[in-house]
Amino acid sequence: MTTLTNRPASAPGSSAPKKALMERLNVFTAFGLGIIMAVVFWYAAKALLPANTDGSFIKTNRDQWVLLSMIGWFIGFMTGIGALIGPFRWLLGKDLNHDENMFYAGKDQGVKRYFRYTTDHKVVGIQYLVVTTVIFFVGGVLAMLIRTNLGHPGGGWLQPQTYNAIVGTHGIIMIVGTIIMITGPFGNFIMPIMIGARDMAFPRLNALSFWLIVAALPPILSSFFLGGIPTGWSAYNPLADQAPPGMDGYIMFICIFAISTMVAGANITTTVVKMRAKGMTWNRTPIFIYGTVASVALALPAFPVFFLSQVMSALDRATGSTFYDTRGGGSGWLYENLFWIMGHPEVYVILIPAVAALMEMAPVFTRRPLFSFNLAIMGIAGISGLSVLVWAHHMYMTGWAPLLAGPFMLTTELISIPTGMLFLVLIGTLWRGRLWMTMPTASIYALLWNFMIGGITGIYLSDVPADAFLHGSMYVTAHFHYTLMGAGLTGAIASLVFWFPKMTGRMFDKTLSWVAFWLIQIGFNVAFMGMFMVGLAGQPRRVEAYAHMYSQGNMITTAGAYVIMAGMLVLLHGMITSWRSGVMAPMNPWFGKTLEWTVPNPVPLENFEVLPIVTEDAYGYGRKQS
Amino acid sequence: MSEVETPKRPSILKSKDVRMTAILWVIFTAIIGFVASTVQVRAMGAPASETMATTIKMMRVFTWAASPVAGLVAAMAATTLLAKRHYGDTPPEDADHEIRSSAKASSTWLVVSAILCLFAVIWGMIVLQNDNAALLNAKAMNVNVTGQQWVWNFDYVDNGGARSQDLYLPVDRPVVFHVTSKDVLHSFWIVQMGIKIDANPGYVTETSVTPNKIGIYDLRCAELCGLYHAYMQKKVHVVSQADYDTWIQSQGGKA
Amino acid sequence: MSVETHAHSNPHHEHPDVVGSRNRLGVILILVADIAFALSVIFVYFYLKGQNVNDMWLPKASDTAGATTPVSSMGAWYLTLIAGVGLLTHSYALAGVRAKNQTQLKLGSLVALIASVVGLVYQGMQINNVSFTITMGAYASCYYLIAGLNFMHLLFTVFIALGNWNRSRLGIYAQDHWHVDIVNVWWIWMTVSSLLGAFALSFS
Repeated sequence: MTTLTNRPASAPGSSAPKKALMERLNVFTAFGLGIIMAVVFWYAAKALLPANTDGSFIKTNRDQWVLLSMIGWFIGFMTGIGALIGPFRWLLGKDLNHDENMFYAGKDQGVKRYFRYTTDHKVVGIQYLVVTTVIFFVGGVLAMLIRTNLGHPGGGWLQPQTYNAIVGTHGIIMIVGTIIMITGPFGNFIMPIMIGARDMAFPRLNALSFWLIVAALPPILSSFFLGGIPTGWSAYNPLADQAPPGMDGYIMFICIFAISTMVAGANITTTVVKMRAKGMTWNRTPIFIYGTVASVALALPAFPVFFLSQVMSALDRATGSTFYDTRGGGSGWLYENLFWIMGHPEVYVILIPAVAALMEMAPVFTRRPLFSFNLAIMGIAGISGLSVLVWAHHMYMTGWAPLLAGPFMLTTELISIPTGMLFLVLIGTLWRGRLWMTMPTASIYALLWNFMIGGITGIYLSDVPADAFLHGSMYVTAHFHYTLMGAGLTGAIASLVFWFPKMTGRMFDKTLSWVAFWLIQIGFNVAFMGMFMVGLAGQPRRVEAYAHMYSQGNMITTAGAYVIMAGMLVLLHGMITSWRSGVMAPMNPWFGKTLEWTVPNPVPLENFEVLPIVTEDAYGYGRKQS
Repeated sequence: MSEVETPKRPSILKSKDVRMTAILWVIFTAIIGFVASTVQVRAMGAPASETMATTIKMMRVFTWAASPVAGLVAAMAATTLLAKRHYGDTPPEDADHEIRSSAKASSTWLVVSAILCLFAVIWGMIVLQNDNAALLNAKAMNVNVTGQQWVWNFDYVDNGGARSQDLYLPVDRPVVFHVTSKDVLHSFWIVQMGIKIDANPGYVTETSVTPNKIGIYDLRCAELCGLYHAYMQKKVHVVSQADYDTWIQSQGGKA
Repeated sequence: MSVETHAHSNPHHEHPDVVGSRNRLGVILILVADIAFALSVIFVYFYLKGQNVNDMWLPKASDTAGATTPVSSMGAWYLTLIAGVGLLTHSYALAGVRAKNQTQLKLGSLVALIASVVGLVYQGMQINNVSFTITMGAYASCYYLIAGLNFMHLLFTVFIALGNWNRSRLGIYAQDHWHVDIVNVWWIWMTVSSLLGAFALSFS
């Protein structure tokens, strides 16, 4: 086996030692091999599969070729990035030696390590940060297209097929972006250091979970060139069955993403359960860790159900099976149940890390202990537990199981109780603290405002009779933007500014962070308040044109959206300039007490010289009353 | 032995921040309750059925019930912001206490939120029961609704099966809609009457209402159904019984 | 799953029990996801069967296709039996390595590997020989789904069993053997998931 780090200088001629396979593989070989395999599978499918249809149900050859081609892309990409090296070395009994593991960890590779299958959790965290930014950028562009269309009085500037494709793709891209926005960058980079570990439990799985996300992106982006998706982000069948091949891009996106989520869930949970520093009992474990684990532990059993729903959709489309086609004994309600069994827990997968991150920041910026750590845990646990019992509140209007409307209304309203606990923890921590006003501090207030609105509007929606009016209208869209974006994204942006110094060694430019904060928050509230109004007045969701009575409300929302865009661009600008030339950050700029602030910048490869021993929790702020 | 005097704890209201919060609480609750409920009620417009009137009332009451909670959070937040705020690159001194929890605060919060939650659930269940009972009204007229990409078809089964793409209803008569779809999911939503039910292929679902105001209202599809979902809309005409009879006969039906 | 991963409390080995318990938890968590997937498949089967929308769970003969007759679930039960054999022989191998008996380890691993290959081939044959296509009603769709997923499971099992046998043969498990332990967990799930499928299919 060629050695990696201690190679003699290469002599001319054939005696130079060969580069190991893993040294040659990177994102470029991955893309290259992926594209080659996509093309090969396409032509092989065309040549070898029988020509079109026999049965009486919808099935097309095109879907078969597209799906198989995308599977080829996936196999090629993952092979090209080197994901298969580990399993095959295991099969052959040739386990990686220390040097090879060090290579994988990115030792001595400089910036190249970000383009490879690198296992160092800090590299993976940065990779996630960059890709999440890209995902939000694309989703944001799509949002601006939507709002520009709707800002035009009466809408109707974009063609229906284009508009529907943009709406659905915006939705699913943002959902994936919001799922990974905190557990990706910060769950990976910060979490292991925060628990006093040297890395995650399964470093190679960590790299895998990241590169799966990269592999998943071309399929969904290619959907625009394949006719787009006509469904919203929820991809309801039977409409999805009818859809052009762009739908197959959505299906592949979800299938690959589901694997990434499952892998990340196992990795993060095992890391936290098994690798906390000596002395870090559960009582001394920071609340951010609880939030991160709850989120991935919830996603772990929920996403496979989504995965299955898409596999069945692919089968209906490509083979003529009839899981969702009532003409063949299938049922649209089956799809809706499977989807929402995942879909509801999923919104808490998005929300919990954001709230937990802000709960972690609150004591730092009020210089007092977190208010009621136990209540915070109960709130997180209560939300997680109840979230698997509420899914059919998305189905009140389907006519499925009217007898279950009452029980689901009960469980859904009950979730407001643990949610309220989280409010109490946050406001209780702000109360009688010594307020240190930073952009993350302001974000806590913004979350309280936005989440209050999001939460209360959720209560109206949870009421079946009121939902008979509100379901399927823009009111719903406004509600979930308030919770996922107003609360969730606010927490993520605060996390970015808060942990930026540790991740990049530089401070996030203060002025830019404040400007971005105000532009985003004001733009957001204007935009989505306007949206509540048109929803209450009867505008359905997912429409590219609307009655003229809604024009004013839509123009207000669009104006707000442009302000958000300005804020997001300022944030992006801040991120880039701060990363390149920001003020160098001290080791502990926020004078925080969690373990990540005890390691120097840049964080050494193995985090700690000597693993810490923890003797108290991280909330020991404040002075004893004399 | 002399008794050690335990100093009386000052009333909670003696502290400045609590007083400030109490005042702000009242103010914010009033503002939030008033603004939120007024704006919502105005936006929803005039109801065309008892169902919608009840929904509007429920939303108004829920808003007022939720306002004290929102008001309290806002008041506490505002109070903390009004205190001295420290800016700069170094933190202020630590707070002068180490309070980590308050059983009283937590339990009060929990109990109140549980009560509010229960209130919402119970009221919701009662209204739901009434809505469900209305579906069984033997005296209601029946209209079959078929959604298909991207039109609605109506079969007036109690009027000799006349078929039309227009929806006319006699005022003050309960009607039960039996809804289905020929292709994908649609949703049958009469906006001002506050009723909605999905149209599913392969199944028939029901909703019912008693229109109580003559006028023209909006039927909109509320479930994305493909290309022209935005245009799958129709006006609903609520007319007097006499006008309805005239109209239905013009469609080939029996009064 | 290499014996040593790069980042540990020291560049030297952590105790194999620690590494093993960590890996075991990780595998179990991944299996939780697979279990959720499998239970959803069973849910799909019974839901569609119960709904029997348009009487098309088992459609009668039509102009374009014959009637769909369900297969006997015995095939699925035999597969469960084969998976069970694989589980038993792998357990035998595990007992061997625990008792420092490398011969028992290798023998058990080999037989388990053979069982997995037999199962894979047999499942493939069953799918091939079924009398209906996937387009012939909801039962047919569900049958292909269950059988197809079981085939994927068996394919994965062949990979795992092959690796396990090869590594045993190479003497890698002379010292610590938590890999063999974890492979046992997989065999348990392979058997249980087969059983779930057979159970569902016996209600046609």
